[in-house]
Amino acid sequence: MLHCRARIRRYCGALSSCVAVAICTLHIAKSAAQSNEEGRVQTAAIASSSDVSPLFGIGIPVGYREWGLVSVAREKGNLNDIRAVLGNDPAIKAYREGATSFPDGAIIARIAWTYVPSKDNDRVLGKPQSFVAGLAADLPDWYLEFMVKDSKRYAATGGWGYAQFDKNGATADMALMKTCAPCHQAGNKIANAHDFVFTRYTP
Amino acid sequence: MRHFPMPTLKFLGTFVTCAAVALCNVYITKSLAQSARQGQPPADTAVDSSNASPIYGVTIPAGYRDWKLIAVNQLLLAGKGEQLRAQLGNDVAIKAFKEGTVPFPDGSIIAAIHWTRVSSEDNDKVLNGPFPGTQSFVIGSPVNVQFMVKDSKKYAATGGWGFADFKGGKPGDKALHETCFGCHQPAKGHDFVFARYAPAP
Repeated sequence: MLHCRARIRRYCGALSSCVAVAICTLHIAKSAAQSNEEGRVQTAAIASSSDVSPLFGIGIPVGYREWGLVSVAREKGNLNDIRAVLGNDPAIKAYREGATSFPDGAIIARIAWTYVPSKDNDRVLGKPQSFVAGLAADLPDWYLEFMVKDSKRYAATGGWGYAQFDKNGATADMALMKTCAPCHQAGNKIANAHDFVFTRYTP
Repeated sequence: MRHFPMPTLKFLGTFVTCAAVALCNVYITKSLAQSARQGQPPADTAVDSSNASPIYGVTIPAGYRDWKLIAVNQLLLAGKGEQLRAQLGNDVAIKAFKEGTVPFPDGSIIAAIHWTRVSSEDNDKVLNGPFPGTQSFVIGSPVNVQFMVKDSKKYAATGGWGFADFKGGKPGDKALHETCFGCHQPAKGHDFVFARYAPAP
């Protein structure tokens, strides 16, 4: 009887330790995963549903929509979109410090939405003056683009790997991916002085 | 001999449990503290009342530029030029936006950053190769930053929102802040918030 109770207690003690350790491990694993996510694009951090870009092997980084804002831009003409540029923590840090090159692990995301007038907003303004991001169904084919810095892996393209996806997570084809680096390295004075990145941080 | 290890084991078991629970608590407390900090309306952390908005007493929330993106837009102001704009939200606001929660819960803060818009000839040169006719516009300089802080009790008279408009870190005058709530009336069906979460399928 005495032996039995002791054994049960021992079992209970061991069990609760295990549960507690398991919960802890979950927490630790979760936060470790979060900090790793941004630096590791080619492996675990890509969304399972997404393609991988030809030439560079880059998928859609997990959680990119929650990255910090770098800047906003509007492309008029054929593209006719409104866009935001976001950066993961290493990218935002480099931007803020005014670095002229980005560290390995930096990722820059460019999101493009269709450009549509806002009826709600214009009711305040009295005429069509306000333009916002369009609906999910109308997202352009060039919806998402990423630049991933890995100076060794992408040494041939200035240290950057590129990717473009449509709203379904489908990648752009090889022919298009071949145009990324030449355009960024075309001698544009802004990009050349800034590690082949066009967009600057706007406070 | 067989009786000895049992208290030792029991002690070890308890010890490990305690240590593990303590570790867990540290993690949980830390993450709770982080989310609580972001949820706090800036009015409570006002250090310099001269930097608070008239009527509402809202100050610039620390770290707002690191908040997550709600949406981007462009405003063509007749005779005043063009603006590019972004709205950011603290964690409470972003959660509500994503889940479509209206009204927004207390603690929600929305930041609207407005910049001037300028043409980028450098971008045009590059883009006009693959995308003929493209005109690229980028941000020029900051114009102002506005905040909406949700506190349904404190700001009961204005739909639960406190407003603030800052230029160069300084709040606009009382007359300006008297116009905020009236202007937001057309967005009443969305808790007086114009911005919608830009699609992310």
